[in-house]
Amino acid sequence: MRTWMFVLLALASVSVLAVEDNYGFNDPEQRVLFLKLTAELRCPMCQNQNIADSDAMIAHDMRRKVYTLLKQGKSEEEIVTYMKDRYGDFVYYKPPVTAATIWLWALPLVFIFVVLFLVMRRPSKAPLPDQGAKLKQAEAMLKQDKS
Amino acid sequence: MKKIGFFLIPLVIFLVLVVFLFQGLFSDPRELDSQVKDKQVPAFSLPDLMRPDVTYTQDVFKGDVTILNVWGVWCVTCAVEMPYLTKLKEEQKVNFVGLYFDQDLDPDFGTKTLTRVQEEVTSMLSRYGNPYQYNIFDVYRDTSLDLGVTGAPEHFLIDSRGVVRMHHIGDINPRVWENKIGPLYDQLVAEQQTNVAGSR
Repeated sequence: MRTWMFVLLALASVSVLAVEDNYGFNDPEQRVLFLKLTAELRCPMCQNQNIADSDAMIAHDMRRKVYTLLKQGKSEEEIVTYMKDRYGDFVYYKPPVTAATIWLWALPLVFIFVVLFLVMRRPSKAPLPDQGAKLKQAEAMLKQDKS
Repeated sequence: MKKIGFFLIPLVIFLVLVVFLFQGLFSDPRELDSQVKDKQVPAFSLPDLMRPDVTYTQDVFKGDVTILNVWGVWCVTCAVEMPYLTKLKEEQKVNFVGLYFDQDLDPDFGTKTLTRVQEEVTSMLSRYGNPYQYNIFDVYRDTSLDLGVTGAPEHFLIDSRGVVRMHHIGDINPRVWENKIGPLYDQLVAEQQTNVAGSR
């Protein structure tokens, strides 16, 4: 019973993953690529949704376009460039490295190095001068407790 | 010295952050960099909405300054701006061309016939005014995609050489016209007139 439930749920999740049932592919690899691209391309209308999730008309059109381009045998890169030519870098969820975006990667590294530098440079504290005396006192107290 | 740095460094970081976040308050995330700006109108070959035997190409924009208005009968904002566009056309002779597209999600399996679309368009234009010289019917919405259209209404200001000079997302109202589109439109028309005069 439990295994059957599991199989049923697994099947249900597969149908949720499928974006559009009316986009048929003969080549399973193309289908995978279609799902990948529609997940990575961003809808210009409903921002912060990818075109697989969005129900805006433009998202429908872009899915259709991705499908036709795939059917024409275009590669993943060509399709991404096609969309970028029309909607800018905005349309792809992976930002390109440019002078303006390099800071996304550089800033955390800079931060790490600055902190490392500060930690290394910090002078190690000299042991307190009367620590030896204090230790002796503590040992004496311990001995007292034991006796 | 050390103490000053202790206060100064966080203060500087804080101020930089404040300036950065403050300007973020006024940035519009919907404003995208248009990819067609300062480029020729992408190539197309599309029929006239009312007379399907007439075909237009990107060359129709050469010779006149044009505002290409992307619209559809299903678009509420388009209906709102239509009377104002008509007024601009009548009072200032602004040259509007419509790029019409319908909302059938898949044009190949569309439920609407062309006659039905034409009827709807005629009834809407007779109700709100007709600002358009003619309407180009973007059957498969390919040209909209090429232009980077995200919805309707959108406007493309095209100069007399067929180059897109401005992409305006949203409606045209008196404020937008006077501050954003009107000045550039007037400038382009003036440029075109001196060009024409010069070539004579």
